[in-house]
Amino acid sequence: MDLLDLIDAVQSVADGVLFGATYALLGIGFTLIFGVMHKLNLSYAAASIGAAYASLLILAGIEAPAIFVFLMAAVAGGVIGGLVYLIAFKFIPLANPLATLMSTVGLLLLIDEIIVHSTAGVPLNYPALFSDVIIPMGPFNLRGDLIFVFALGCVCMVVLLLLLYRTKLGLATRAVSQQPIASELCGISITHVNVLTFVLTGVVGGIAGAMTGAAIGMLSPLLSLPLTVKGLIVTVIGGLGSIPGAIIAGLVVGGLENFFQFFRGVSERDLYIMLLLFAFLIFRPGGIFPTTAGRD
Amino acid sequence: MRNLTVAFAALLAGMTLSVSEDAFAQERTVKITGFGAKSGVVRVFGINSEAAMKAGAEEINKTGGVTLGDGTKAKLTVEFLDDRCNAEEGISVVRRIASTDAFVAVGPTCSNVAESLFGILQKKAGDATDSGLQFPIIADVAAKGGLAKISEWSFRNVPSEFEMYKSLFAWVKSQHPNLKTIYGGVEKDFAHSNATFGVMKSQAETNGFQIAGSAEWLLNDTTFSTQVREMKRANADIVAISAHPFTTCGVLKEMERQGVKPKLLIGLTSSSSIETLQGCAKQAEGIIIPTSFAPVTPEAKKAAESVAKFGGSADLHSAAAYEIMFILKDVIQQQKIMAKPDTVQADRVKMRQGLAGLKETMGLLGKVGRTADREAIKPFLYVHAKGGSWQVLHKPSS
Repeated sequence: MDLLDLIDAVQSVADGVLFGATYALLGIGFTLIFGVMHKLNLSYAAASIGAAYASLLILAGIEAPAIFVFLMAAVAGGVIGGLVYLIAFKFIPLANPLATLMSTVGLLLLIDEIIVHSTAGVPLNYPALFSDVIIPMGPFNLRGDLIFVFALGCVCMVVLLLLLYRTKLGLATRAVSQQPIASELCGISITHVNVLTFVLTGVVGGIAGAMTGAAIGMLSPLLSLPLTVKGLIVTVIGGLGSIPGAIIAGLVVGGLENFFQFFRGVSERDLYIMLLLFAFLIFRPGGIFPTTAGRD
Repeated sequence: MRNLTVAFAALLAGMTLSVSEDAFAQERTVKITGFGAKSGVVRVFGINSEAAMKAGAEEINKTGGVTLGDGTKAKLTVEFLDDRCNAEEGISVVRRIASTDAFVAVGPTCSNVAESLFGILQKKAGDATDSGLQFPIIADVAAKGGLAKISEWSFRNVPSEFEMYKSLFAWVKSQHPNLKTIYGGVEKDFAHSNATFGVMKSQAETNGFQIAGSAEWLLNDTTFSTQVREMKRANADIVAISAHPFTTCGVLKEMERQGVKPKLLIGLTSSSSIETLQGCAKQAEGIIIPTSFAPVTPEAKKAAESVAKFGGSADLHSAAAYEIMFILKDVIQQQKIMAKPDTVQADRVKMRQGLAGLKETMGLLGKVGRTADREAIKPFLYVHAKGGSWQVLHKPSS
């Protein structure tokens, strides 16, 4: 490997780590819902992409600045999050883990088809912030838009952690997550907490969808399935229920993806990521940050 | 007076009967069933094909419809079924169509469906030992090379990408003799992109271009930085991208970010569509793509307007569906197809024979030749993206 190869390899990994911020945001959503309800919401990534599409729909015909489009995606994400709870969880017996799992799979496909039917599957341009900014760092270049995504991911994480550990809502959420029956006995409405969790993760999902669209420069229904898989991998590697774990795993998976892309090519890239997942499942099933809190 | 009343009543009855017969004759309809992807990410292909078939049918009906074997006139109607770009669905849809009075079907969208579907048809017409489905199918979109030879019941009206890129690379060589090297990019997991990339590469080499390397990505990839960096290092004169609009745009945007500016860009036939312009008009500026459709003739302009009226967009794929409606009309008339429930199998045989016997058809850009292995030799031209629209760059035949 010559110097140029080395520079390219490092640059590829750096790009991957920055893009991994979108995986991290998705991982946060998966992990929050799992943390609170101990359920997997497989429609989460599709809902996130749906929120990004909705932001384009809401602002159709208006020359809105990118930041306003992202804001709309977050709002749409929150609304979709609430709807997801209502459709896939509220009326489904929560005692049966397969029932909610299957209902979210159904919702994933439904959201996907709604996107396809409303756009005919045509990829749509998505605005980005700082897309023309390139920050040179010696022989390396960092993309302004990806740094923005990365920074926003970090801000989301801090806000979520503050929300969880410094507010009454966070206290209630953690209480429901750890001791749902005791929480109910203390007067905390489980349904209320669940709805708020879905809305909150929906907002994060909307931001994740918008950031994914901004990082690629486009939206396509093709994104739902791979992002669902990436989100799940990140959640498992990070540790189910761990927000810092989701962030770190997102960045690691993003970086490793580009690393394997560079050294092994596109046909083997995903193979190594899956092997990493299996390695974690076998040797460290709790992920990077295993949750220590118990549950009723 | 009574006799007069009886005579009047008889006359009235006779007139009513005559009108009924006329009405019956006028009301005869022939349903042409199309099938293709109307869900999933390739839904737009199905929408366009359906619109084009309906536009074609309307045009035919405006001029009196089609004359059937018994001399009656019939109007054409179109039904379009969704195969979800899935081989099993495609086979199931065609079996369903074949269980009706239909004597032909138009489709499918995806090459993987066509490949499997043509495989269930009788390989050699009239072979009593082959229990394959005896039902003629004419494809409008599925573009992978050489598919029609799978069965004598399968036909295609799709352009030959081999001929298109053969001509394009020869033209590029003649117009830009200073360009020497070429770098390729391919959507590795899509049959059409992969097959066409092989054609691009071989034609580039045949015309004396040196292949500086190639990058690969997948249909639903989200980052292309590694691939584009390889492209940048190769510093080739030409970049040829064999990918569909989503990843073509992703790669073009990444090329812009990394400042990769080849002297010439070449794209995949399927990317000469509105999708590419919607996704990345600015980055696609200048990309050259061979296509078998552009609204450059009065017929093509009229067809484009008509397809738009039915909610579709005319491109090289849907234009083929539009043309097929006229091909079917001609074959129905030449072969004296009856389109009656008791003549279904005979009509299917006649349709197959009629389609197989075609030596030439009229296309929207001119005459379309037919080959012995049931493929089309379509006229084509090169378009390039300019100012947010596709504009004709060169007509090879002129």
